[in-house]
Amino acid sequence: MPVRWSRYNPSYLEPEVKKESYERPLEELSEEEREQMELKTVRPIKAALPTLSSSVFSDPMISKFTNMMMKSGNKVLARNLMSQTLENIKRKQLEKYHKAPENEKDTIECNPYVIFHQALKNCQPIIGLSSITRGGKTYQVPVPLTDNRKRFLAMKWLITECRENKHRRTMMPEKLSQELLQAFNNEGPVIKRKHVLHKMAEANRAYAHFRWW
Amino acid sequence: VQDRHSDNSHLALQAKHTEQHEGRLYNIPLEELSAVFPHGLPHRFQQQVLTFNEARVMVRKPALELLAYLKGSNFSHPAVRYVIYGERGTGKTMTLCHVVHYCSRQGWLVLHIPDAHLWVKNCKELLQSSYNKDRLDQPLQASVWLKNFKASNERFLQEIKTQKKYMWGKRECTEEGRPLREVVEQGLARVRSASDAVGVLLRELKQQSHRGSFRLLVAVDGVNALWGRSTLRKEDKSPVCPEELTLVHNLRKMLMNDWSGGAIVTTLSQTGSLFKPSSAYTPQELLGKEGFDALDPFVPIPVPNYSPKEFESCYGYYLERRWLQHEKGQGWGGKRGMRVLGLELVSSKWAKKLDKLNTDFCTHRDAQSFAVPSVSLQGPRTFPPCASGLISSVCPCTPRVST
Repeated sequence: MPVRWSRYNPSYLEPEVKKESYERPLEELSEEEREQMELKTVRPIKAALPTLSSSVFSDPMISKFTNMMMKSGNKVLARNLMSQTLENIKRKQLEKYHKAPENEKDTIECNPYVIFHQALKNCQPIIGLSSITRGGKTYQVPVPLTDNRKRFLAMKWLITECRENKHRRTMMPEKLSQELLQAFNNEGPVIKRKHVLHKMAEANRAYAHFRWW
Repeated sequence: VQDRHSDNSHLALQAKHTEQHEGRLYNIPLEELSAVFPHGLPHRFQQQVLTFNEARVMVRKPALELLAYLKGSNFSHPAVRYVIYGERGTGKTMTLCHVVHYCSRQGWLVLHIPDAHLWVKNCKELLQSSYNKDRLDQPLQASVWLKNFKASNERFLQEIKTQKKYMWGKRECTEEGRPLREVVEQGLARVRSASDAVGVLLRELKQQSHRGSFRLLVAVDGVNALWGRSTLRKEDKSPVCPEELTLVHNLRKMLMNDWSGGAIVTTLSQTGSLFKPSSAYTPQELLGKEGFDALDPFVPIPVPNYSPKEFESCYGYYLERRWLQHEKGQGWGGKRGMRVLGLELVSSKWAKKLDKLNTDFCTHRDAQSFAVPSVSLQGPRTFPPCASGLISSVCPCTPRVST
């Protein structure tokens, strides 16, 4: 029986989950899209992942972050923590917004999703280090990172920072919201870690020629 | 929508909230909030006050009904008991707070017990009462309550005088004719006798209310705690009956209708209750036989979920205060999604979580139960369907939050 994690026959197509793509009238579609639609009527389709959602409020980055926060498969807890974090961010920003004078109100960003995405972008390193062994010695070689790797590193740093370097009794949503707000303003320990990595890469410029890819 | 959120606090001052104001939100100035409600507001509402920097209470039918009864009641007759009941998250505590605010604006003496459940559970110190060997004192709870009572009713404590001499232990005593303030201060200074101070206070107020110099409002939230069971244990590990607690014993005497010159407004609450199933919400189920007989006869006031008009008003308020940040939540799609839940399910508590519904990310699995037309009416606390219009009974969308 075909399940997601078994090896699919290459003829199986990816499922299209978003409602909007089905609501477009035929005339709007270009040639290739029409061909794709014809193909979908004859070819089998892979089973959709349980985490794939057709809700307007779903966000792949948030899902990825929630999965990274999850421990021993407790997705319910991870999701609750995520939604509480977003609510915390919104509350803090709204409090600032409502207390601020009129001219400053435009500068305060209240949307937690915007803050989350911007914070992640600010935390992503541009260049990374990779260990390469030459002649018995291991060198840290500066290396460009793929988009996926950058995103992963940013999320990983945020989560480890919250888990390890904070007071034992503070709740995760509180810690996370504080970190995200700091990262949004380009300050805080995670941004510092990114800068440290950049400096190390700059210092090890000499070994850059060890890279062969 | 514009005039719904206008500052109707002047109307509250003249107590002119009528049927036409139903669904509107009125503002309580923050200084007054800390004076009238040192304790007693639900936690979520307090958070909202901090976030929006203002306190807005919605005027709803049950509250209007209660206010009409209070306005028309005859204070020479024995005090009438009102019991506000309803399902979880429908706004019982907020109705009580509205009534308390109205009465304090009118100049009544308000005896507000924020949550009677706190007196029958999680008590670290239980002392044997010096007044009656069988009963147990709770110094911490009593002193906290006395402090908050003092904060809200300063001027009455100065005016009302004691009618009897009270001995606190072997050496201290309060003479006859001293202002009640001294009793309260005695309770705060000597924490061991705080519960007895509360008892004295209640007794004095009950005896003097019929004279007419002040109107007394007894507002108790979670009154079913007084007649339920408690989780406290004595030193020999035997369970404690709520009756054996001084605070509960005195409060029960206060709730009897043998005094005049005021009113008793109470709320049932399943959320903090002990040994009661989560589906119980009627007075019969929550009070039990003993409690029902003790409170009988009372005027029951049911509190339903938001009506369409109230939902619109709340939605508009959140839009105006920029609580609904997601762009999809603000348009027709998001609103329809929230409405699709069936307004019967969107109670006031869930309306406060409108943006939680916004941040909902339903899984694909839920789309399969789209064919299920009716959402299970097990109660407002079952996972509400997702805001995008997909209906699911299994979606673990929003977390359970205890009041």
